[in-house]
Amino acid sequence: MAEKKNTVRVEDDNYTHNIDRNNERALDRRGFMKTLVGAAGVFAVSSLPWGTIAAKELMGLADKEYPEHKIADIKDVKVGDSVEFHYPSEHDSAVLIRLGENEFVAYQNACTHLRCPVYWVKDQQEMVCPCHHGKFDVKTGAPTAGPPRRPLPEIIVKTKQGSVFAVRVKRYEA
Amino acid sequence: MKRSYIGVITLAIILFLDIICMQLLVHQFFYENYGNVLLYMIIMIILFPVAFIIYKKEKHKGGGASGK
Repeated sequence: MAEKKNTVRVEDDNYTHNIDRNNERALDRRGFMKTLVGAAGVFAVSSLPWGTIAAKELMGLADKEYPEHKIADIKDVKVGDSVEFHYPSEHDSAVLIRLGENEFVAYQNACTHLRCPVYWVKDQQEMVCPCHHGKFDVKTGAPTAGPPRRPLPEIIVKTKQGSVFAVRVKRYEA
Repeated sequence: MKRSYIGVITLAIILFLDIICMQLLVHQFFYENYGNVLLYMIIMIILFPVAFIIYKKEKHKGGGASGK
């Protein structure tokens, strides 16, 4: 091949030497390998934010701690009744519902649709938002009817010494 | 012209492993197994220099008239 008369450089003298228009040789074997390495690099870099968030979670920085807040005395709340309170700040209205003798649930009661206050309707055994008739399941806080699509943020409660305390707000789970 | 496809194939395998690890990482993240997320992140970060080393080794393999 070398003795053939041509103007192609020796190192480029292969069967594809004439393909050099319009960057047609830009993606040859070597260029393709470069692309693969670059893609691996992109994957490595894109895993970093997930890793940092995971590390943060493992170190417990993301779980916000609020001081415990006394909601009510157990004897003041009859089974099936609800109490309104504010937690964690005074601007976050919430509702505590006593479902059974030792069964309490609490949710931040701003409707996840347009933040109207959600009320506990004892007769229907449901949490109802009066603005657009959104309804929430009382056991889980999940929306059951109406416009809301996301569950109400649950507040973890515990009972001690005859009173109910709000401990923390459960993390939002999609 | 002779070509060495070993590099291409191994790099493609590494990229495939990257894709699998990314998928697992995202799933573990949503299942809140954050230790596993860190594990997959480390695997993916290690795979990148491995890919680069393979590229460096393989880029002059095969060859045309120059006989490399």
